Amino acid sequence: MSTDSPDTADASEQSDGPVDREAVRERLDRVDDPELDRSIVELEYVDTVDIDGGDVTVEFVLPTAWCSPAFAWMMATGIRDEVSSLSGVDSVWVELADHMHGEEITTGVNRGLDFETVFEDAADGVEEVRRKLDEKARFARQYDAVEALREAGLDSDQIATLTRSNVDLGFGTDTAAVTVRDGALSVTIPHEPLDEYLEKARKTGLVVDETDRLFADREGEPLDPDPEAFEAVVRDARLAVSNIKGQATICESLHESRNGVSLD
Amino acid sequence: MYTHNGEDVFVIDGHVHLWDATEENIIHDGGEQFIQCFYDYHTAFTPEEEQWDMETYRQYGQERMVRDLFRDGYADMGIFQPTYLTDFYDEGFNTTDQNAELAQKYPERFVLNGSFDPRDGDEGIEHLERLKDEYDIQGVKLYTAEWRGDSKGWRLDSEESFRFLEKCVDLGIENIHPHKGPTIRPLNRDAFDVADVDDAATSFPELNFVVEHVGFPRLDDFCHIATQETNVYGGLAVAAPFAQNRPRKFAEMMGELLFWVGEDNLIFGSDYAIWEPDWLIPAVMNAELTQEERAEYGVELSLDVKRKIMAENAAELYDIDIEAKKEQFQDDEISREFGLGDDYEEAAAD
Repeated sequence: MSTDSPDTADASEQSDGPVDREAVRERLDRVDDPELDRSIVELEYVDTVDIDGGDVTVEFVLPTAWCSPAFAWMMATGIRDEVSSLSGVDSVWVELADHMHGEEITTGVNRGLDFETVFEDAADGVEEVRRKLDEKARFARQYDAVEALREAGLDSDQIATLTRSNVDLGFGTDTAAVTVRDGALSVTIPHEPLDEYLEKARKTGLVVDETDRLFADREGEPLDPDPEAFEAVVRDARLAVSNIKGQATICESLHESRNGVSLD
Repeated sequence: MYTHNGEDVFVIDGHVHLWDATEENIIHDGGEQFIQCFYDYHTAFTPEEEQWDMETYRQYGQERMVRDLFRDGYADMGIFQPTYLTDFYDEGFNTTDQNAELAQKYPERFVLNGSFDPRDGDEGIEHLERLKDEYDIQGVKLYTAEWRGDSKGWRLDSEESFRFLEKCVDLGIENIHPHKGPTIRPLNRDAFDVADVDDAATSFPELNFVVEHVGFPRLDDFCHIATQETNVYGGLAVAAPFAQNRPRKFAEMMGELLFWVGEDNLIFGSDYAIWEPDWLIPAVMNAELTQEERAEYGVELSLDVKRKIMAENAAELYDIDIEAKKEQFQDDEISREFGLGDDYEEAAAD
């Protein structure tokens, strides 16, 4: 990902008009703080967006000057890749402001360098860090998805054995349909928790094929349908949610105090 | 002593510092970054009207500390958790010997903890022996992310560390407080990973491991370890101030901690002077779980549970007889100085 050239917009896709601000914002919204599993737009990390014809400059700021360089790198490359793939964009310049490694990250990401080239001492590669965080986020998102299914009346045995083929995400505008017992029973649940869960389940490689089990424990192992064992995994997933929310509380408070940003 | 709905609550602040971050004491850029980072944590969680200016924050001194903790802060006792950082600060940030000056003035009010660094080898062992000999320390605060020359940290489960933990067993130093919490610039985030506590706690069942700052941003990893090991405790410094500006988040987190770690293994700490007990203790004491949270987690945050967290659990680890302390504090130096004796007399009469 990080070796991509920043100027990936295909010339054939370019339109003549200026780049649409709302479209840029929509692209930025797809970039997450990998630790907090929330969009950088929602978290108000994006400071300014300048559009000059096909040239887009995005400046962002993090809650602290010492936020993990690996996380900052993921967000910076995410911004670069998302915005540069937008039709009509000729170039993207990403600027990380007020950060201890702001200069290295800004230069490295805009020049299309590797994280490992810029930060030679980093213990883990950026992709490895990303994978770990995605797995944590996948497990945390599972909590809401499973709760929605339980509210719809499914039991531990039914939920534990669900596969991708049991889910119809396109059932309605806001609802998904889930079929169990070889099609004998079908329930509908709110679309969002399942959709968001599947996004991370796909990304982590857990749910790729139609026959893949939908849910797994923290380590990615299939769920035990025994009610007690199932409940233990639910509680563990709730803990994963609390961990992310707790860390988000720390980051939000620091962001508010340093940058005057209040999310409430 | 704190009073909650007419009930006395004895408070042992499990995590206090008396530091020196004056410019004269700073010998490395890391020292300035470190105190600036502490100050950011201070302002992020402190009510605006309670925030300190940077000059005061660099060095507040003994007198202010005693007033902030005991006169204004409701704390009855405090546990010093030294942080050496001698690569950053000429005389250290707050060493055992520095803390000892105040602790020995009011020995009935302070518990003085020591520290070790396995990278110091034989000299470090001698240092630990001296601290035991001189101050009869019962605990050590450990900073696994501390820089030392080219080294950017050490692991609690390393061979060198085990040598020091064995020494702690020999010397009767039972309480091990590794700092495992939010990133502090310029220290390496990964050096705060809680994973190394697991092996150490299993290998040394006779020691207690108080994980300071409950492992954030790895609360989940910490909870897993604490569930498996009965000798693993959670120090609430950093988590406690949520009670002030994010009370609902604090309650949820307490639900998790009570569920996984348990009411007998949590210890309050203000992390003074990052935060001050005068507003922090009331915020924590006023925290409540909703009925849904109580049902969901199957736990209570009752007055009895709060008493454990605020003092009884720490008292157990440090052999403190709370009733005897209340009696002693009817007429000790601090109570005489600040006119607190009556509070303890009333408490004894209850």
